[in-house]
Amino acid sequence: MKKKVLSVLLTVAMTASLLAGCGSTGAADSAPAADASSDTADTSADASSDTAASGDVEEITWMFWDDLDATEDLISKGYKEVIDRFNSDYEGQYHVTPITTNLEEYYTKLNALVASGETPDVFIVSPGPNLTTYVEPGVAADLTSYLDADWKGSFSSDAVFAQQTYDGKIYAVPLNIAAACVFYNKEMFEEAGATVPKTWDELIDACEKIQAAGHTPITISAGTAWCLSMLAGYLCDREGVDLTKIESGEESCNNSKTIDAANKMIELSQYFQPTAAGDTNDVATAGLYNGEAAILIQGSWAIGQINGENPEFEQKCGVFQFPEIPGGNDPNRVIAKSDSLAMSSTTKHPEAAIALMKYFTDDTAQKYTAEVGGKIPVTKVEYDASKAPAQLADVMDIFTNASSTFGFYNESLFSTEAGSTFDDNMVAIYLGEKTPEQAFDDLDAWYAANKK
Amino acid sequence: MDKLLKDKKAIAVFVLPAFILFTLILFIPICQSIYYSFCDYDALTKPEFVGLKNYKNLMIDDTMKIALKNSLFFLIYSCVTQLIMGLILAGLLTNIEKGRNFFKNVIYLPCVLSSAALGLLWMFIFSPKLGINQILARFGIEGPLWLMDIKGYITLPMWVIAFVALWQYVGQSMMLYMAQISGISKSLYEASYIDGCNRVKSFWHITLPLIKPMVGTAMSLNAIGSLKFFDLIFNMTEGGPNHKTEVLATHLYTQGFKYFKYGYASAIGTVLLVLCLIMTFLINKLFKSENYEM
Repeated sequence: MKKKVLSVLLTVAMTASLLAGCGSTGAADSAPAADASSDTADTSADASSDTAASGDVEEITWMFWDDLDATEDLISKGYKEVIDRFNSDYEGQYHVTPITTNLEEYYTKLNALVASGETPDVFIVSPGPNLTTYVEPGVAADLTSYLDADWKGSFSSDAVFAQQTYDGKIYAVPLNIAAACVFYNKEMFEEAGATVPKTWDELIDACEKIQAAGHTPITISAGTAWCLSMLAGYLCDREGVDLTKIESGEESCNNSKTIDAANKMIELSQYFQPTAAGDTNDVATAGLYNGEAAILIQGSWAIGQINGENPEFEQKCGVFQFPEIPGGNDPNRVIAKSDSLAMSSTTKHPEAAIALMKYFTDDTAQKYTAEVGGKIPVTKVEYDASKAPAQLADVMDIFTNASSTFGFYNESLFSTEAGSTFDDNMVAIYLGEKTPEQAFDDLDAWYAANKK
Repeated sequence: MDKLLKDKKAIAVFVLPAFILFTLILFIPICQSIYYSFCDYDALTKPEFVGLKNYKNLMIDDTMKIALKNSLFFLIYSCVTQLIMGLILAGLLTNIEKGRNFFKNVIYLPCVLSSAALGLLWMFIFSPKLGINQILARFGIEGPLWLMDIKGYITLPMWVIAFVALWQYVGQSMMLYMAQISGISKSLYEASYIDGCNRVKSFWHITLPLIKPMVGTAMSLNAIGSLKFFDLIFNMTEGGPNHKTEVLATHLYTQGFKYFKYGYASAIGTVLLVLCLIMTFLINKLFKSENYEM
């Protein structure tokens, strides 16, 4: 009898322990965001947990696409300073723990957290379909009421909120603006006798000379598809493609301008590094600052990475605007993009989250953005241009002289998947898997099947 | 023991924990997933029943075709190579006296290491700017783009990843075969030698038939493992270049977590489940054998 009782007790204990293992606890329910940080990602080492242990401290999480401790990127280092400053100034009141991941994995991990009901309190997001993904189902909070006169008035203009506004409501706060430009190695250009190209033919001529001098003319990433897609986007725009008409269905993807743009991309691809098909964005960018190639077509966010990884390269690095295609579109149009912060609509600490967002847009952070990071600030802050990276002056010239800006092609379509489909087809053209006609026909077919 | 087995309550009590666990973390999610595969579901709003739409889309999805082709390639490659290499290694190691444990541990070691770490390690080894190609360059040989080449029906990166997977998991097959071989009575071999068999013949006529049930088990494990293979591919190529190394599990991951298409991802998961069930059934049929007293 005793044995039976004992065996039943043991079985009950075993069952209870098994169930305890797979169930979620009440504590997890009450602090989902804090839990997410410890389970899912690398947390910043110096986001001290001492203060978080205190019951009165409001603990929030902030998700970002770079490792704050390992990074050499100057913009990421600036964000780390903001986090440290916030935690220090609000010690005992608020505490933020960063959730960090690499850029390629960022949205996948963020989406996993969102789907499991553990959305970070504040998260970085690109405007366009990525932000729409979080606005439409109500994941991102409406920030309009938080943007009081003081805070909103500190921004350079209301136009900086254009891509973050849906039906008159603002769902994200921009942190900086970057323009897509062409970075080049001045020494290699000089050695090859090449001049800064203003037109398509001059670009091809410069590539020819650089190749003849024994250097790789262009470093680009097709492994990170949006990098190649950015080039394709520029070529399409320069050829005069009207993306809004394609997006609205008025024009087919397969038209003479897109085909010409794709053929030009094929022509230019003979000057790419041989490993472009699989190289990631980081590897391709390293190709420029390590002196392996002469040209990199990239957003001005790369300045922080270039100067952070190889400070000596700053003086060798020039910037020019993507060349004109004669007979095509206005050559002063520039691809621009901003990093933005969104707040979770389910956050239990909106005041703490807003306080953090204000730290990212205060004068200290915005001055750093320009003077160290090399990005264009979004506020009216006055910064010392002589302290800023050498490349920023060129970027500012391009940006201020731009007749208009437009978004990345893959971020200007109706969904993130539509953008990825565009990217994939551009890579397929580059790899020779599809002819331009096939690729754009496939895009038309995909849009017809998937656009709601 | 017999008394205990006759007590139905005792059986129920002992089976209950496993049954509850199986139901909660396996059976219910599988049923949920099958239901979601018939829905338009983004995990943020309620699932909307759309019938066979996801399955119809699967039929015209180019990446799905590549993923299915690669998964089947992986399945065949793994089953064949792990069977042959596992048997050879098991046969060799059971016949050596010195260093058996050393080699056993060395060959089994990759099985217990993190696939994510190994994936990164091999990615560096096959990177054009590091590893093998740099060594080849010293001899004036231009190495191929191991993880970037897209030529051929089965691309070079798939062969490379399959090779790495063989290196990582062959130790598991070897251990299973060794365990079975070590259970065969030595008297059977002695009798065969007296009858004129050499080592090869005794391996063919005694070892192989007696380990047939274990071959079936190891092959089932290989088949299921290769169909749901994810980690090495994700860490070495992330399914690229341009989806050329995508397999069912990576495609499922992308559709579910990148595009919030949980209904579509569930349909891929259901295809994966059906493939696993079919393979297990076929292998069990193929390797059905009587158990002999060894």
